[in-house]
Amino acid sequence: MLIDRRVLSAFSWRLAASAALLASLSAVVIYSTTGQYSSLLRRSLYFKQTMWGLIGVGAMILLCSLHYRTIARLAYQLYAAILACLLLVALIGRSGFGAQRWLSIGPFAFQPSEFMKLALIILLARYFEDHKEDLEAPWIFVLPIILTLLPVALVLRQPDLGTAIVLLATSISILVLMGLKIRYFIYLAVAASAVAPVLWSFLRDYQKNRFLVFFDPSLDPMGAGYHVAQSKIAVGSGGLVGKGWMAASQSQLNFLPASHTDFVFAGFAEQWGFIGSLALLLLYAYLISKGLRLARDARDMFTMVTSFGVVSMMALQVVINIGMVTGIMPVVGIPLPLLSYGGSSMVMNMLAVGLLLNIQMHRYMY
Amino acid sequence: MNADREVPNLFAPFQKRIKVAAFLISGAILILLLRLWGLQILEGERLLLLSINNRLRIRPVEAPRGLILDRNGKLMVENRASFDLYATPEDIPDIKETARRLAEILKVSPEELTQRLSQGQALPAQPALLRKGIDEQTVMAIEEQKIDLPGVGLRVRPVRAYPTGGAAATLLGYVTEVSHAQLESREFRDFRPGETMGQAGIERRYDAFIRGIDGGEQIEVDARGKVIRLVQRVEPRSGFNLYLTLDSRLQRIAEESFRSRSGALVAINPSSGEILAMVSKPSYDPNQFSQRMTPEQWRMLASDPKHPMQNRGLQGQYAPGSIFKLVTALAALEKGAIGPDTKFSCNGSFSLGSHLFHDWKKGGHGTLNLRQGIANSCNIYFYNTALKTGIEEIARVAGELGLGAPPGIGLGDEAKGVIPSAEARTRGPGGWYPGNTVMAGIGQGMITATPMQVLMMVSAIANGGTIYRPWVVRRVETLDRELIEEYGPEIVRKVNIDPDNLAIVREGMQAVVSEGTGGRARIPGLAVAGKSGTAQVVRNSGPLRGDHRDHAWFVAFAPADDPQIAVVVLAEHAGFGGSVAAPIAKSVLEAWFKLPKEPRTAQAVEPEPAEGD
Repeated sequence: MLIDRRVLSAFSWRLAASAALLASLSAVVIYSTTGQYSSLLRRSLYFKQTMWGLIGVGAMILLCSLHYRTIARLAYQLYAAILACLLLVALIGRSGFGAQRWLSIGPFAFQPSEFMKLALIILLARYFEDHKEDLEAPWIFVLPIILTLLPVALVLRQPDLGTAIVLLATSISILVLMGLKIRYFIYLAVAASAVAPVLWSFLRDYQKNRFLVFFDPSLDPMGAGYHVAQSKIAVGSGGLVGKGWMAASQSQLNFLPASHTDFVFAGFAEQWGFIGSLALLLLYAYLISKGLRLARDARDMFTMVTSFGVVSMMALQVVINIGMVTGIMPVVGIPLPLLSYGGSSMVMNMLAVGLLLNIQMHRYMY
Repeated sequence: MNADREVPNLFAPFQKRIKVAAFLISGAILILLLRLWGLQILEGERLLLLSINNRLRIRPVEAPRGLILDRNGKLMVENRASFDLYATPEDIPDIKETARRLAEILKVSPEELTQRLSQGQALPAQPALLRKGIDEQTVMAIEEQKIDLPGVGLRVRPVRAYPTGGAAATLLGYVTEVSHAQLESREFRDFRPGETMGQAGIERRYDAFIRGIDGGEQIEVDARGKVIRLVQRVEPRSGFNLYLTLDSRLQRIAEESFRSRSGALVAINPSSGEILAMVSKPSYDPNQFSQRMTPEQWRMLASDPKHPMQNRGLQGQYAPGSIFKLVTALAALEKGAIGPDTKFSCNGSFSLGSHLFHDWKKGGHGTLNLRQGIANSCNIYFYNTALKTGIEEIARVAGELGLGAPPGIGLGDEAKGVIPSAEARTRGPGGWYPGNTVMAGIGQGMITATPMQVLMMVSAIANGGTIYRPWVVRRVETLDRELIEEYGPEIVRKVNIDPDNLAIVREGMQAVVSEGTGGRARIPGLAVAGKSGTAQVVRNSGPLRGDHRDHAWFVAFAPADDPQIAVVVLAEHAGFGGSVAAPIAKSVLEAWFKLPKEPRTAQAVEPEPAEGD
């Protein structure tokens, strides 16, 4: 491979190892919660997740062999390709669980919206690298906003509120970093709240109700509200040290919906308790702080925005997901990075860590 | 990037913001840790207990369905309380004794009951459903003996009630639990087992409006499955009320005038497409679905050779018989093959090649013009007319008037009937001969239509050439009378037929009633236009002898010059249209103009004095 010795010496083994550790934890948790009471299909999930983890680690290492400048050069094409995939999903996508999110390539079904998270970060990084001289001009933010809203609209249509929120929030965090005044958002919020009651009055009662349940699932005790109630029991029953591996009755007995995807943390916390949850959060905190340090020490706009974007995306997902599982945030369907089941999400998050590694390696090379 | 090094503090503002982000993220993670501390350490023990027994259960609370009311706000479908009998075997100290007492009340054998209660014990302590929809007397008996029946309880549930029984039953539909087959299909993936839904007619089509939103209770149960605490309850939200275009008074009169005959009756406002009454006989009692229905009862109903669950007005396809002469007449006028004064003489038979076609009246009608031809429904007149016009134009006019296509009311399967289209003509066995045209001209042979289609056709003739989509729901409202949806007349198309020709045919239809075959539909003081029809029943293997008798048709509208109501009657195997179906149509027309109207729906002005009567 075309990796220079100096570069290799700067490879952050600790960062790579923490990502790999999270991926292995994922397989372990999924194995233990899709246990003996489930169908054969469910029981094989941990194996598939292991495969995805390995593929992800491979992709992560492969990404390091490229210079990030190559990635920066391809930013627009990458974005365009994934946007095209999203369009394709809207047209011919495979639907599952009531939403049209997947695109089938042979036996695989991948979720372009996951990769859009990364493509959008890279695109914004490239854009601000190109326009770093003009950041004072407000019009400079117009194109990034449009390029954000495009995929957000497509993803919302699927409908996938969770991913849309992550895309939007990640982009906003980057724009704010770039100096977009927070007061603009306040203006926007004021304008929106002025228009909202008018729009609201146009909605029919049952439409309003659907809307409300979307944001407050406890209005629907049969559906999401029940899920949260069960997941709170799962998390809480873990206590200080947890029930131990394979002893997570709450998660195993199928009381927990989506115990291997969005609610995977519940199974984790049930088995390893507060101590385990603390350790897991510290692991994420380590990943995040590593990325923040890279952003702080960056010497060019592209790497700064990329590392900040990756961090912001990961932090958002961790906070919203765990907040949702513990019942302090609405259920919006956001996976826990590197822990939730799902090939697209796993590979995307590994690539995100790969970007951090890449930036770290090439820091001293100009 | 060299520029970066020359100005070292270029990144300072960004670094400041990154620091802020770091603080925010740390804060969020801290909040998560606090939350986890709260759940796992502070509440850990309680939640552990809950998880050990998994004591949290959910119990749906069924939402009452919306009411269905007629155009004047009179109830047609409502809800009543139904009592379900449950028993919790673990709470019964002496199963034999309880079974004996209960068996007496329910009038079943105590052995069977004992067995069912013992079976229930195998399951974790959940109340087992013993019987659904028990009657009032049984409820009272159980309430009286409550002390002697430990572990036995009643639960109330709203069920559908149809106060008018079988009236308009196939139109209104019925409600049952979703079936296993439905649960497996995609369309019903949001349904849970045991949920009820509309299964036919309006109940099905408007189910999303009527069904309401089920509430639910999260309950905490003890180790024996008994409720100890209501964690959360969300009240069910009642479904929306439907206001129909139907007039239940007219409906009742229509049902009664049908007596015990089989067939269909539809009454409509020809100038808007509002359905005023819809009868399909024989009918069934939709109330039986709200009670305990045995599989045998269901099988009997579903496989009844008389098809009580079929809405004949929409699904029954019959040869239109002489009613179709209206189409033939219009086609001939359109093509210019005849004029209103064209005369043909009828001596009782008509020969074409080697075939001899007969008139229904022995000896014939003598010489007739178009008006008289329609009035007397003279076959010979229309054999000649059809032959001169040709099947293409007849088929075109039939299509213009909505035959051969579903009317689009949108309630379940609407049959579309058959008209001799070019395609059907070439595909038909042995090709198309003049003889086929002659038969088609009087509505026999390769022509069928549903009563609804015939009614729409006549409505278009009556209103001067507009096809309205038939509709039956006027308004959807919440319980508090907040408007959800409002429906109105919808024009499907203006027919491509000369209004003058429609007027000529209307005149002929008036003559049918005033001097022709429809005399039994005559109403003093009201100009009624109509047309009778008698459809020959051709069956290779009729299971009953009576089935070979002809179907009787009558279609009418009134007042002839300002039509406010059109009605079609089809009486299966009843004989002549003019003698059997016309009186039924008459009683509906008569009733409609006598019924007092609500101010907001009043369209009926004083009927004009009848012309030419």
